[in-house]
Amino acid sequence: MDHREEIRKYLKELLLQKGDKQPISDDASLLLSGRLASVDAVEIVVFLEEKFGVNFAELGFDQELIDSVDAIDSLIQTVKK
Amino acid sequence: MSSPAEVTAAMPPVAWQQRLANFRIIPRIETYPVLTKFAKTAVGKLLILALFALGLRFAMKDWIPLSLGLAVITFVPVQRRILLTILTLLFTFAVPWANWLHPLYSSALLVFVIAIGAMLFWIVSALPRSFIGRHPVFVLLSGYSLLIVFAVYFPNDTPRYLTVWEFTATFGAYLWFIGYSLLDCRAVGRDDFALQLGSYRPFWGSPTTPFVKGSGYLRRIEAKDADQLAVTQLKGLKLLAWSLLIGLFSKYFSIGVHVYLAVPTFADAFLHSVNRAPYPWYTCWTSLITGFLGDILAISIVGHRIVACVRMAGFNALRNTYRPLSSRTIAEFWNRYYFYFKELMVDFFFYPVFLNYFKTHKKLRMAAATFAAAGFGNAFYHYIFNLSYISQLGLWPSLAAYHVYIFYCVVLATAICISQLRKRQPPPEGFFRRHVVPTFCVALFYCVLNIFDYTERTYPISEHFRFLAHLFNLTI
Repeated sequence: MDHREEIRKYLKELLLQKGDKQPISDDASLLLSGRLASVDAVEIVVFLEEKFGVNFAELGFDQELIDSVDAIDSLIQTVKK
Repeated sequence: MSSPAEVTAAMPPVAWQQRLANFRIIPRIETYPVLTKFAKTAVGKLLILALFALGLRFAMKDWIPLSLGLAVITFVPVQRRILLTILTLLFTFAVPWANWLHPLYSSALLVFVIAIGAMLFWIVSALPRSFIGRHPVFVLLSGYSLLIVFAVYFPNDTPRYLTVWEFTATFGAYLWFIGYSLLDCRAVGRDDFALQLGSYRPFWGSPTTPFVKGSGYLRRIEAKDADQLAVTQLKGLKLLAWSLLIGLFSKYFSIGVHVYLAVPTFADAFLHSVNRAPYPWYTCWTSLITGFLGDILAISIVGHRIVACVRMAGFNALRNTYRPLSSRTIAEFWNRYYFYFKELMVDFFFYPVFLNYFKTHKKLRMAAATFAAAGFGNAFYHYIFNLSYISQLGLWPSLAAYHVYIFYCVVLATAICISQLRKRQPPPEGFFRRHVVPTFCVALFYCVLNIFDYTERTYPISEHFRFLAHLFNLTI
């Protein structure tokens, strides 16, 4: 499973835990639109740290960085470079 | 032909639940294509602005300049951000000018504070690797704390004493706004200071908690085209109407409860308890519950009104209060009750701790960050919020007298911490277990905790415990 698919699956699970069964497109805003709260942002941060070794303390945290599948994917690409 | 009763019985229950969930007192006008299309035309914009101004007339004093400002920003959307700055400056200096006792002096204080904000912004942007560049919020909050200490120990028999305190208060009013602009310094594609200035107590009105966050957030939620603007403005109009409806309900709720039913206010019930002449325990419960509901209504009215103006200006901001009584966890209620205060605590206290400390201890990491935000941050915010206690009582006595609110913060932080650390489980089956039980427990927790949500420094914590005990018909 490529990492984009992995992110998609994780976000879907997170939304499902909140009872949100609506589909998500890759560019759909999740945090800034209010579908996910800051508590969920924390879970996404931990997921990205553990799974992809993203270090937000170095990068500087901004909710926009993890607001959608596309944003997370591009963040991981940046970290990998 | 089947009767209505038969039709009702034949409908599956899910359809009714769905209908109930989709029911809106104010219809979702922003989803009607005819209306969004109309809202994009000049006539549509004028009509929306006129209706909005009419609504504002019932909600606030400065409704005329505010409506004019919103009209300008609506018809020149390309220059929205710079217009926001210009309007904010007009509302900072020109609109209140006539009400100031010493306009030049007040303006000078404001200019000085804004200049400090600009200087800090420039330093943090220019020197990102310096200590201040890496820890701008820490430097800002420490600096402000030192300013308070300086003001406390400034000789009170000198003519400059009042000036020092007035400057401290003015700086305090801008503290979190400056903080948000410093946080934006590290963002990719950050706004320059001219645009940041539009978020320093924006013209739509903001309490000390920044509505809606800072320039970085405004950049992201700004309507990008005419379609988005139409939807955002219709949502703004709808929210203002909702705010007015809640205001009306709140007024009659208050009259009904306190006049017709003669239920004492919470403040009155508490005062009777302090004076050793308490109302019966069930009356105290009624006062506490109605006071709690009144607080939710009051915060909704103010928050909705401000967010409605933000949306009319073309920024699709989230509501400040969103169905808090439907929260199923304590953490969720905190998120839904006063969203922009919670965001402030999260941005300034939670993330700095969470991203930098205890990374290998998952639970400790979450607990430390939660205590930093809901505990320390919350207590710090409210301690510096009302400077009159510090100036009258002194630094340490005002801190000692603040112990009730510190206790409140500790209990709140502990509860949110437990709420967050509990493993998420799928919601239980059945309406009662799924919705009624958790929402009731969460509301009850916050309702009872409200006894300690007390930032004044008049009564010791023992009086608050006395009131709590009396609710259970106990005397201490």
